[in-house]
Amino acid sequence: MNTFELKDVAFSYSLDIQIFDGLDLTFDSRTTAIVGQNGAGKTTLVKLMKGLLKPSKGTLLIDGDSIDKQTAAQLSRRVGLVFQNPNDQIFKTNVLEEVMFGPLNIGMSRNEAEKAAREALRKVDLESKAEDNPYDLSLSERKLIALSSILAMDTEMIIFDEPTMGQDFAGKEKIKAIIEELHTEGKLVLCILHDMDFAAEVFERTVVMNQGEIILDGPTRDVFSKKEVLEKAYLEQPYVTQIAHALGYDESFIHESELINFLNKND
Amino acid sequence: MNTMTLYVEKDSPVHHLDPLVKLLYVVAAIALTYILPEPLFIAGVLFVTLLLLLVGKVFRNSLPILTLSLFLIFSLVIVQGFFHPDNVTELFSLGPLVFYEEGLYVALILVLRVLVMIGSFSVLILTTSPDEMVERLIKKGMSPRIGHVILSVLQLIPQMRATTSKITDAQRSRGMETEGSMLTRIKAFFPLMGPVVLNSLNETKERSIALEMRGFGSSMKKTFLNEEKQYPYNKLLGGIIIAIVILGIVWRVMA
Repeated sequence: MNTFELKDVAFSYSLDIQIFDGLDLTFDSRTTAIVGQNGAGKTTLVKLMKGLLKPSKGTLLIDGDSIDKQTAAQLSRRVGLVFQNPNDQIFKTNVLEEVMFGPLNIGMSRNEAEKAAREALRKVDLESKAEDNPYDLSLSERKLIALSSILAMDTEMIIFDEPTMGQDFAGKEKIKAIIEELHTEGKLVLCILHDMDFAAEVFERTVVMNQGEIILDGPTRDVFSKKEVLEKAYLEQPYVTQIAHALGYDESFIHESELINFLNKND
Repeated sequence: MNTMTLYVEKDSPVHHLDPLVKLLYVVAAIALTYILPEPLFIAGVLFVTLLLLLVGKVFRNSLPILTLSLFLIFSLVIVQGFFHPDNVTELFSLGPLVFYEEGLYVALILVLRVLVMIGSFSVLILTTSPDEMVERLIKKGMSPRIGHVILSVLQLIPQMRATTSKITDAQRSRGMETEGSMLTRIKAFFPLMGPVVLNSLNETKERSIALEMRGFGSSMKKTFLNEEKQYPYNKLLGGIIIAIVILGIVWRVMA
């Protein structure tokens, strides 16, 4: 998959509140973060992309081909979506079986599915828990299991909804490594985030949404340098950018290491 | 959070009545249909009930409920008309089956009674918010535990519906078909019900902890967040309703 395109998409849950009205957006091979305050339409957007919701107007295209007629289950071969709350999906009494559920649904044989599942569990470092009951694990571990259950399906595009929520530093580093690995494998990676620092550190492109509209879209560094626009969407700049600004430097920093190197050189 | 309630928020004299008076009206109206089982009299009670629905601006909302009861009404007429033991006077016949006047008379009373029951309950339910009613009952001495059970049941069902739709989305994202043949639907059952049940159990546990944290089980006398509403004609209306019931009983005994 090279591009996922939304063309002139309109959607509303009820007649009086329009969520999207003529939204145009294209995702490409750059890893992309979507940020925006609660209710900006981020989750609705990815549900539309996943076929869980159908737009009232407009089309969605993968590599130029319309996917309007495909059900969510059919799309699941190509687009994977990791939900916020792992408890909404876990129903097996064994981690491995849980991770194998998706691959089996999309037509892998048991052997292939098990291989894919073990590989996915290895990526999140939970291989040793393969035989455990998912509900004996912690919430952050269950989140990683939900993540690996999508990884195992080996889709061309992966969408994460708030993967870093409730994760400690180690968990975030794991997710970061997974995103980078998926990117090098040539997959499209899209991520809904509230964590600006994580967005700044990991993603090449950032899209800022506010009330169903795209108010900023571009390379992450450019987006996070526009303090005024971000504030309009009730978002803050990453801490490292704020610190650099408070220290009186005009350059925009989005990685900690950049600022540290810069300060070391200036000493 | 929307709750499962039929309550229609409007501004009408019926809405401003004390929930307890409306509750009393329900009991009285149904009792009267038993105390004086005359079609004309029950029709009178029904008329008053429908009038209350009109004044409460909820007549339209009560129509679906009344329509639902049509099936019951229809079967009452058929069963009583054809098979009531007192049947003597023939009205018409369908082949070997004969429809009788006495049965029709009994059916008429039953039908009117059913309509009064449904109508008076509609008055109560459509014009009273569950919160107001439960709070009023607790103030009158009902256990807050029972009040909590009533309110949480009303909330639980929409909540479970929301959870189920979230879970359906999550499983469909993993390639599970939920629509189509019976077999597909049966296969989809466990992946959907598993998380629904587990989530509900978890939620219940957390809810009870949260309630305990805020002293729900304490034996102290509880105070209320909402100021007590004033219901000016409370005593008068309650008195009138009770007086009518007593009059009905007297009438029945005298006649």
